[in-house]
Amino acid sequence: MLLTIDTDDPRPIYSQVADGIKELIARGKLAEGAPLPPVRQVAADLGVNLNTIAAAYRALQDDGLIVIKHGSGAVVASRTATERNPDELLRQLRAALTELVLAGFSTRKILGIVARELK
Amino acid sequence: MMDPGRAAVIFYALFWAIRINGCVRRGRQPLLRGPEWFFNVRVPADFYAGAGKTLLRWYWMRMMIPFAVDIPIALWIIVSHHLVWLNWLALGLSALIHLNHVVSVDLAERQARPFAVEQPVASVMVSLAPRRLRHYANWRVEFVLVLITACALIWRHDLRPSWKVAAILLYLHVGLVYLKHLIVAWRMPVPREQATEHMAVQEAKRKYYLATIDWYRAALTAQLVVWSVHVGPLTTVDFATWVLISLIASVIVEIKRKQLARLSLRARPVTMPDLLRQAEIARWPVCYQPSAPLLMLKGARGYSINLANTCAIIGLAYMAGFVVLGHAL
Repeated sequence: MLLTIDTDDPRPIYSQVADGIKELIARGKLAEGAPLPPVRQVAADLGVNLNTIAAAYRALQDDGLIVIKHGSGAVVASRTATERNPDELLRQLRAALTELVLAGFSTRKILGIVARELK
Repeated sequence: MMDPGRAAVIFYALFWAIRINGCVRRGRQPLLRGPEWFFNVRVPADFYAGAGKTLLRWYWMRMMIPFAVDIPIALWIIVSHHLVWLNWLALGLSALIHLNHVVSVDLAERQARPFAVEQPVASVMVSLAPRRLRHYANWRVEFVLVLITACALIWRHDLRPSWKVAAILLYLHVGLVYLKHLIVAWRMPVPREQATEHMAVQEAKRKYYLATIDWYRAALTAQLVVWSVHVGPLTTVDFATWVLISLIASVIVEIKRKQLARLSLRARPVTMPDLLRQAEIARWPVCYQPSAPLLMLKGARGYSINLANTCAIIGLAYMAGFVVLGHAL
């Protein structure tokens, strides 16, 4: 259960933390009811501002993936995020696929990448 | 019966013997990973032909500071026939040697950093497993310590004449438990490359320090028992037992330390990125940074205690409590 932060990644750190935890939940490495470390622990381990991790946890709570209980920390609430607009999700997928096509990836290669990522 | 002064001299001589071994080990530490390293800093091949030679010499000179403090004080104690004070000198020197080493290594690494051939790593990994003191507690040990402490306090019916001894021992015990809490909370980011090896080393170090503290707690509990049962003057048998226990403990510590050193060599040291820009916000020995989650910030010249951290406040309150308790004595 390791979370990776990359300083070369253009995304802000809070977004990397939220995405990293989302990925672990989606992969089933963080099961429903699993406790998450306190904000202070993650912030101290990464050596980042407390507000950065608090923002990431808030974003995950807004998505319905975790529940933050004051005093007892955060736990994984569900493997599925709160209802999202399917059109919006498809738009994001289309944008990512467009980027891959423009980067010169063949359809077969893209399908391979998608299959590998889904695994 | 054993003369306490003579016992102190023998203990002090043993302290010196163990200390020489530590000196040799610390002297070799800069080159432990090979000639392309200076402690944990990767340096160019010609480093030890130029600046490295001077840095190494200064590091070795700094190792002599405890000797410069020790020898005149020890001579004065011997000449003035206050031999029992040698025990306090050895205790103070143990702390000084450790502190001097930590500061000296940090300084040496800072001085070598401009010559480093590697930049900070880009990817950092952290574990998402919650880390609390209870996860590292051995409940059987805790139960035994609490039971012995309670029995010792109950055994000594009349606490009034010497309650201060028990109060100090218990206060020290509480301090050690808090120290364990700090060690558990201590940050442990690892680089993406060799993440498993680095994590294993950090976890082993954490457990080693926690076990060491548990030994100190056991020693304090033993002292509480001695206080409770009212032992008489020190006999030769008592003294020999203490010497034997100290020697066995030293050998165990040395074995554990060597195991840890071997494990550490498997993980290649790297420089972690400074995401908090600590060098910019920590300019003085103390600072107030509420948004920084760290107790100690690594500034450009040294470490800075973050007074906005709850641990710093509790630590200061603990030390103030110690002063008050000392005053009550």
